Amino acid sequence: MPIRETFWNIPHWAEIAQYIAALLTAILFIAGITRRVLRWRRGRPEKRSGHFWSRIGSLVTQVLGQKRTLDEKFPGIMHFSIFWGMLVLAAGTALATIDWDVTHLFFGFQILKGSVYVVFELMLDLLGLLVVLGLGMAIYRRYISRPARLQNFPVKKLAGDDTYVLVMLAFITLSGYLTEGLRLAVMRPDWAAWSPIGNAIASLFLSLGDPTNQTLHLVIWGLHIVTAFGVLISLPFTKLFHIFSVPLNIYFRSLEPAGALRAANMDGGMGVKEWTQFTWKQLLDFEACTRCGRCQDVCPAYASAQVLSPRNMMVKLDDHLWEKKPRALHGEVVLADELWACTTCRACVQVCPAFIDHVTTFVDLRRHLVDQGKMDQMLQDALSNLGRYGNSFGQSDRMRAKWTMGLQPPVKDARREEVEYLWFVGDYASYNATLTDVTRKTAEVFQKLGLNFGILYESERNSGNDVRRVGEEGLFEMLADKNSQVLSRCKFQTLITTDPHSYNTLKNEYPANGNGRYPVLHYSELLDQLIAAGKLKFSKKLGYKVTYHDPCYLGRYNGVYDAPRRVIEATGCELVEMPRHRERGFCCGAGGGRIWMEEKEVKERPSESRIREAVGLEGVQMFVVACPKDLTMFRDAVKTTGNEQRLEVKDLIDLVAEAL
Amino acid sequence: MKIAVPIKFVPDLVEELTIDPSGTALDTTWLRLIINELDDHAVEQAVLLKERGGGDVTVLAAEADGVDDFLFTAAAKGADRLIKLTGDFSTADNHALGRAFADVIKELQPDLILTGVQAHNDLDGSIGPLLAEYLGLPYVGYVAGITPGGDKVIARKEYAGGLVAEVEVKLPAVLGIQAAEQPPRYVAYSKIRQIMGTAKIEERPLGALESGGGVMIERMFQPEAAERATMLEGSPEDVADKLVGLFKELGTL
Repeated sequence: MPIRETFWNIPHWAEIAQYIAALLTAILFIAGITRRVLRWRRGRPEKRSGHFWSRIGSLVTQVLGQKRTLDEKFPGIMHFSIFWGMLVLAAGTALATIDWDVTHLFFGFQILKGSVYVVFELMLDLLGLLVVLGLGMAIYRRYISRPARLQNFPVKKLAGDDTYVLVMLAFITLSGYLTEGLRLAVMRPDWAAWSPIGNAIASLFLSLGDPTNQTLHLVIWGLHIVTAFGVLISLPFTKLFHIFSVPLNIYFRSLEPAGALRAANMDGGMGVKEWTQFTWKQLLDFEACTRCGRCQDVCPAYASAQVLSPRNMMVKLDDHLWEKKPRALHGEVVLADELWACTTCRACVQVCPAFIDHVTTFVDLRRHLVDQGKMDQMLQDALSNLGRYGNSFGQSDRMRAKWTMGLQPPVKDARREEVEYLWFVGDYASYNATLTDVTRKTAEVFQKLGLNFGILYESERNSGNDVRRVGEEGLFEMLADKNSQVLSRCKFQTLITTDPHSYNTLKNEYPANGNGRYPVLHYSELLDQLIAAGKLKFSKKLGYKVTYHDPCYLGRYNGVYDAPRRVIEATGCELVEMPRHRERGFCCGAGGGRIWMEEKEVKERPSESRIREAVGLEGVQMFVVACPKDLTMFRDAVKTTGNEQRLEVKDLIDLVAEAL
Repeated sequence: MKIAVPIKFVPDLVEELTIDPSGTALDTTWLRLIINELDDHAVEQAVLLKERGGGDVTVLAAEADGVDDFLFTAAAKGADRLIKLTGDFSTADNHALGRAFADVIKELQPDLILTGVQAHNDLDGSIGPLLAEYLGLPYVGYVAGITPGGDKVIARKEYAGGLVAEVEVKLPAVLGIQAAEQPPRYVAYSKIRQIMGTAKIEERPLGALESGGGVMIERMFQPEAAERATMLEGSPEDVADKLVGLFKELGTL
């Protein structure tokens, strides 16, 4: 009967040496892990408990299922193969240990015998092949195809770390196969065919004869064991640590709405000045980064000027935690320009297979810059204006509703009379001279639909969404308080807005300020609901071929992808998607307060890259947006890229008004 | 170095300005006040001097809407002492305001007095020279940089046409600030809120306002479009003849 002969050909002293080595390995392994965990515990507290089962669910889909990793084909399959191959090989080794050192030793029976054993051998043999395949792909990718995102790490020693992992895993797998092959070559068991790879290797060694093969087996077995223990010992000190940190990071990921930023640390100044002011979860984020570079590939700041790479930020921050001579976090480790370059579009967070939240970290670091008053003059002026006038334009708050002049009937004052829909207009739609036409058109559509709506007139303030993301928490609180006070005095059922930024904070951050809950709808959602309820009927089919740009704060932050698309289709337009759409939508470059900052030298503005993407779609005449800032950003970009004749930038409401 | 910075609030030009029915003043119903921009620079310059060479900065202001917030902001920037003159300043011109400030400043005995070189509502001259007069101190205006040196300072005074003079001034002195050496810094709201809990504004009730020496406003009005200019055409001789004729007509010749 087939049975596993553990420690065949291994002298007794070697067997004992192996157990001593195993014990030492375990001690060093635990010490290494402890060293990391203790470092995280130096961060500030942050609550990440609760939702046990959905957290376990994440582990199943994202760790075992490798869902996000598989979003990209080549690297996905590569990692999936190594992961599952190594996991099964490790489990097989564990089972063999139990078989020999527990059941055989104490109870005198073995699990690994007969048909169980041959299937076990077959599984391990084949899954080893999966590892070889994955490692081959990895070696090809890292050293031959060399994608940009795997190059130029800000910490030079990391290239060696990457190589170390590949070499060690390759050596373990190959030496494992060799050990098996040599054993089969000497033993020639009847069931050798169940280990097809091992058997094939055995046939290569048959001619060498017995004493040689036995010696070779012992030597290679020794090397295999030493490497395996070496890998285990080095796990907490190398990139291999992601095996431990990534599942933890996935387990502890935030289950709060993406649009609700954590309040600023106020202990020792606002934000994060030194790394110990990060929360433990942020430190875990840094340590979970495998520098795969997916974030860098989707980052609009990186694409436009390469000042900021979210990958590099994580690499540098992680390195900083372990610096022997700590440098200054601000100015030496991370630069202000990098921090200000972030548009908070969240594309990096969305693609990270380790579920790192880069944006929260960037905002925490920006908060310190704001605390120190370090910012460019334009941003400073915008913030001063926001504080004084409630808008970034530095215009009188009394002019906020100037755009309503001449509208008949006049737009209701929601502070004075009850309305069904309270329209939070937002700064850009109210003040930007080139946008007020669209704002008026929106009001006219609402009037034609017979909506009972009103606005806050001069009592509205900037919602504070981007103020908060710039890092000016105190000003955000002030703006939110003022708006909340006015809102609490108004009678309305639903809050509506055309601005995804206002939408985000009104929906996700205002209730946290203790102001009661009311539904908040983006106008695309409202129009979609009205269409579904039969209250909005179109008389025309427009027949345009259009594409649609997902605003970051509507899409990635709030998952509103379908409502605007349904509205576009209801107007009788044919919607053609850009390559980067929905979750992968590419930021216009204005978010997170970028629209208030000085523009540094860029290769290509994100908005221009986006317009070129749309122009590449055959026959598309219109570029439809659902965000006032997008209108200004893309109208400019159409001009600067010389595409005025080819592509028209339209607001969603333009289509609706035309098809009515 | 002990520095005093008297500042004033002026009408915010973001709002539309209207003239009240008396026809001699701005209508205050809709008026909103804002820090005189150059006074903000004076505060920044004072804080910069303190940061570089140590010292003590006192900011003085007359009561107005929003002055408390400004004073707290100044404290968050680094001002040590905040003094608010209380009373009715609605009719105070710069002569009156200067005298009111001078009384307090005499008592403070600062080495240096920094104030904005001008404000857009200076109808009766800017406040710096007035203060210098009342205090009997030297004055240098249009200053855009200060280097302290013992009992004197070197002030960089800006002239038209991009000229700069370095003027040595014996202390104590009054300097009219054209621009601080760096733009006024931003102060995070959280810092202002924090300082509100610790900083104190000293209130000084104002005696009678003395506006003697100031101007009388007879009429205040929106700029009126003047009549169009007449272009004289023809040869130089013709134009000269026409000009002489015109001068005679107007009685200037």
